[in-house]
Amino acid sequence: MSREVADAGLRPSPFAVSEAEGVGLHRFALFTTACTAFLIFVGGLVTSTESGLSVPDWPTTYGWNMFTFPLSKWVGGIFYEHTHRILASFVGFLTIVLTVWTYFGEKRVWMRWLSAAALSTVILQGVLGGMTVLFLLPSPISTLHACLAQAFFCLVIAIAVFTSPRWKRGVPFTGSYNETSSVPALCAATTAAVYVELILGALMRHTAAGLAIPDFPLALGHIIPPFTSNKVIIHFAHRVGAVVVTTMIVWTFVRVARSYSRHFLLFRPALTMMALLGIQLVLGATTVWSAKSTIPTTAHVLTGALLLGTAFLLTLRSYAMLTRKPGNCRGAL
Amino acid sequence: MYKRSLTVCACLLVVALVAGCGGGSNETNVPPAPGGGAAAGGATFDMSKANATVSGKISFEGTPPPNDKIQMSADPYCAQRAAQNPTTETVKVSDGGLENVIIFVSSGLAAGAAYATPAAIEINQENCHYIPHVFTMMTNQPLKVKNSDMTLHNIHAWAEKNPQFNVGQPVKDMVSETKFAKPEVPLPVRCDVHKWMGAFIGVFDHPFHTVSKSGGSFELKVPPGNYEITAWHEKFGTKTMMVQVGDNDKKEVNFSFSANDKGTAD
Repeated sequence: MSREVADAGLRPSPFAVSEAEGVGLHRFALFTTACTAFLIFVGGLVTSTESGLSVPDWPTTYGWNMFTFPLSKWVGGIFYEHTHRILASFVGFLTIVLTVWTYFGEKRVWMRWLSAAALSTVILQGVLGGMTVLFLLPSPISTLHACLAQAFFCLVIAIAVFTSPRWKRGVPFTGSYNETSSVPALCAATTAAVYVELILGALMRHTAAGLAIPDFPLALGHIIPPFTSNKVIIHFAHRVGAVVVTTMIVWTFVRVARSYSRHFLLFRPALTMMALLGIQLVLGATTVWSAKSTIPTTAHVLTGALLLGTAFLLTLRSYAMLTRKPGNCRGAL
Repeated sequence: MYKRSLTVCACLLVVALVAGCGGGSNETNVPPAPGGGAAAGGATFDMSKANATVSGKISFEGTPPPNDKIQMSADPYCAQRAAQNPTTETVKVSDGGLENVIIFVSSGLAAGAAYATPAAIEINQENCHYIPHVFTMMTNQPLKVKNSDMTLHNIHAWAEKNPQFNVGQPVKDMVSETKFAKPEVPLPVRCDVHKWMGAFIGVFDHPFHTVSKSGGSFELKVPPGNYEITAWHEKFGTKTMMVQVGDNDKKEVNFSFSANDKGTAD
């Protein structure tokens, strides 16, 4: 019986494994998660540098098989777009391996379904990416492509969390048996708020509304700008969303810090979320002040993804640690 | 079990690789050619009746704003030719006259007139620049897009009234041909590989249009009538004037732009 399980007075998870068993799959899932984050960054670069249509054909690249496209021709906008395609193919391959590995290496049936969902999502994401090229970046498809990327990121994070030895051993129950904590629901609401904000951000980027309000902190010289166009509305909705997200994150952090500051599994992601929020707000302002300069704009996209991932991780852990389940076995969620 | 996993992985990898495969060829498709053929319906307008001349100068008042410097380091081929075109061609002023202004008859022409479609017109990609930077053409007139560079270009027409297209030209001397079915001014063309490469086309359903040349001069041959003449510039926008011309008449129409005028580029 592991020390944590013993300390918490819990029965071991029926999926209890040795320290070594399953670590490979977990590490592979972590690697896939890291590659996905990098892929989101490169995808952001493609949009920031307006390179999305620098390779006009898909799945070929200027008629070449995309994997044999000569390195010497990776110039200008092609460099960003083709790198994104190659990296996306790599993440797709990693997801295939992850799915097969989970299918044969996991006893939990729902884990197999989860990895199958990740594989389906990455395939759909690839098709959407192709459609953005073939249909010349239509806003709805480009926005959907951006939003699905974030959903896929959460899926691989979930796989990484659920395959971790700590999770399998059984995350200790740290809640109260007498009352139901509202922290998990708050974390879930915060994650949802961040995701909605990312949708608004993607909509703003793919409708070219990023500078519809060119000043900050004021908006067209006012606190509430005159809504003269849809672009202004979308842009302002993103700013309002930022206020909501900031409130939710601060509220979540305060709740976690007040009650669970000694439980690093909860406190650490809550603290990370706060730090990322600070960075994200500065990057958002810099994006406007620099008239959508490539680096801050793309970093804003990446930090948004990391913020979503951290909020999602905190949500998973809070549900596991603060919600009472029959058998007290959190690892068997 | 691991053998089985390995086999499944290998199969999926093969599927993924095949999905990413093309023909291995270095040729691209020709761009779409929307719309029909030559102007249809009724007798074709006799161009000898366009015997009146509207000419003039597009003046520029004040100091012309400097063009943006071009950073070509993203493509070594272009970077080697950067000295030939160090800046964009947005504002080109010579002898006080503004070049690259599209001048055209915007109203006053007989409705329903049919005009002969001229021969093909060409835009060339040379030294990582479009030549010409601004030009006019007629609807359904063939447009040949040539790549004279030893690097790849994509021709991306940002049309609003006509269908957009985006075609790659990876090979030197490759020529693609297209045409536009509907009038559109301006119809921007750009290369997404090389951000600085941009051109503007004026597409008309009549032949009474031109582009200002060195010194801002222009000349239009039109049939007798009362016309609205429009001048459009990519940075300074649009100006219009009325003119009335008779048989073999010659009228002067002068436009003036300044740095305070705003157009599509701002």
